[in-house]
Amino acid sequence: MASHKILIVDDDPDLRQALRLRLRANHYETVNAVDGYSAIAQAYKEQPNLILLDLGLPAGDGFVVLDRLQRDDKLSSIPVVVLTARDPQGNEQRALQAGAAAFFQKPADNAELLDVIRATLSQADAGLPS
Amino acid sequence: MSETSNRVLLIEDNPGDADLVRLRLVESKPTVDVSCVRRLSEGLASLSENPPSVILLDLNLPDSQGAETFRKLLEKAPGVPIVILSGQNDEALAVKALHQGVQDYLVKGAITTGELDRAMRYAVERQALQRTLEMSRKQQLEFKNQFLSHVSHELRTPLTCIHQYVSILLDGLAGDMTIEQREHLGTVLKSVNQLGAMVRDLLEGSRAESGKLRIERRCVSIAELIRLAVAMMQATAREKGVGMEIGVDNTLPFVHGDPDRILEVLINLLDNAIKFTPADGAVTVQACQVPTDSDFVCVSVVDTGCGIKPEARALIFERLYQDPNAVDNNRKGLGLGLFIAKELVRLHGGRMWVASEPGSGSTFSFTLPFYSLAKLLAPVITQENRLRDAIVLVRMDLRPRSKPPRGNWKETCQRSLEILERCVYLDKDLVLPPMSRSGPEQTFFVVASTDLNRAEIMMTRIRGQIGNLAELSANGEFEISAVPVPLPDPSAGHSLPQQVQEVADRVTEMAHATLSCS
Repeated sequence: MASHKILIVDDDPDLRQALRLRLRANHYETVNAVDGYSAIAQAYKEQPNLILLDLGLPAGDGFVVLDRLQRDDKLSSIPVVVLTARDPQGNEQRALQAGAAAFFQKPADNAELLDVIRATLSQADAGLPS
Repeated sequence: MSETSNRVLLIEDNPGDADLVRLRLVESKPTVDVSCVRRLSEGLASLSENPPSVILLDLNLPDSQGAETFRKLLEKAPGVPIVILSGQNDEALAVKALHQGVQDYLVKGAITTGELDRAMRYAVERQALQRTLEMSRKQQLEFKNQFLSHVSHELRTPLTCIHQYVSILLDGLAGDMTIEQREHLGTVLKSVNQLGAMVRDLLEGSRAESGKLRIERRCVSIAELIRLAVAMMQATAREKGVGMEIGVDNTLPFVHGDPDRILEVLINLLDNAIKFTPADGAVTVQACQVPTDSDFVCVSVVDTGCGIKPEARALIFERLYQDPNAVDNNRKGLGLGLFIAKELVRLHGGRMWVASEPGSGSTFSFTLPFYSLAKLLAPVITQENRLRDAIVLVRMDLRPRSKPPRGNWKETCQRSLEILERCVYLDKDLVLPPMSRSGPEQTFFVVASTDLNRAEIMMTRIRGQIGNLAELSANGEFEISAVPVPLPDPSAGHSLPQQVQEVADRVTEMAHATLSCS
């Protein structure tokens, strides 16, 4: 099976690079986006298997992105895992309601994050909408 | 008289006194609007429709006397200034009234028109000032919370970067490393994790202070939580050469609490205990029923460490307290851990304390309420000292449409439970704490003080609201049904608590029966 493609959306270049290294080491292909606007553009262009999404973003924060993804038939089936520095109280529930498959607060445990990414991808592969 | 005190509510049962006061008020200011009632109940009733700018209050009324009179009024209308016009000069009562929030205490026969006028004006101004102060205190607290929330967010971003790159190096993703390099990086990672915990405590401590910590109670096994906490701390203890033991009665009933938060409290106490215990010492966790109160479990974390001086014992739960004699090779932290832990225990209805002798270790203890269905049910299924006429058990089943469930199924169940909680009447229905089940299916129960016909109305309401939950209809299905709970025979002559217990036992039986056959 071809490797899964993950879109990393984060405005911090160092963190994007770190996530890229980590995901590639786990045999995922990665593409990047630096803000809300380019997240949607990249999602269209690259059709990733999963989006790793920060919430605090310039040009349309993570909730705007989640909303746009949900409303777009071409994008709504892409599962989203939120990885944010924001407080879970007040944000976790909201993100899950907005369609995210999982929520992690930074700094997240890598093993846990990778487990959830793996499980979410295998669910999506089985043809189940997230 | 200032404009602000233009509407006066006079609560006075003596018509002569009432007329006199009214006359004086009109004399000072002809446009004053005085409404006069003779009973406290009438006064209380008039407050809700049109609150006055000031209340003049006689204490001895036909339906209420003394301190009780102003207490009820303060409770109903905390924002309206109250001036007591009493027949007696009772200094002790006057002080008590002022302490509880009454603005002034005047003796009827001893005041002039000017004095009454002034007292009312000052009462209105003082009340306004107090309100402003209180608001500014709340604003400050709110500002602090927002600030800390912002700070912790900003701190987390660089922290995450350090965490990520250090773990990339440690996991060998950037090439091989020598053992020494790995050790050093291990220390960096440990420090980063400590820093992360501090950032978290900063926000939690601020929440604890402003009463914004939240707990979600369930029916949980305290013995299991203790075993889990000890397992989680085992590595830290082993590293320091400290032994860990568990002395827990396995037959302990379940407690009514938030499992994540209780675990947090336990981890905090264990972490402290290990920190202050020298190598070859031991930390023991015990749990047993509180001897003097069978409704509570007492959990103790006993260490063989350096102990705590009596003067420090009084301060140890204070915010930002740090032991000045803490061994210097131990990091001190923010001094918020015990403060947060104590607040979490308090939110559960328990208490936390410490006993210690310098040199011979410390024992930190806290209590938590046992889960008692009868106790939760009592206020709901009784009315005027007897059982209600009809009680039904409503059951809602949530099933995911696929295995494993799609989306965040746990979260979907939680949201359904919240909707369920909003659909019931708090004074006569009780949503039972969720029971842990092995599979993804979730069943929630509601004990409702109603008959089947009215339960049907409630279920229609629940069906409508749960049906709107998109994530549930996308990933699963739900079913809701109700059965009557047989009530104890009133001719058996059992006391009310016994009857409540019988209902609780039946509900438990019915819930377990439906769960085991599904």
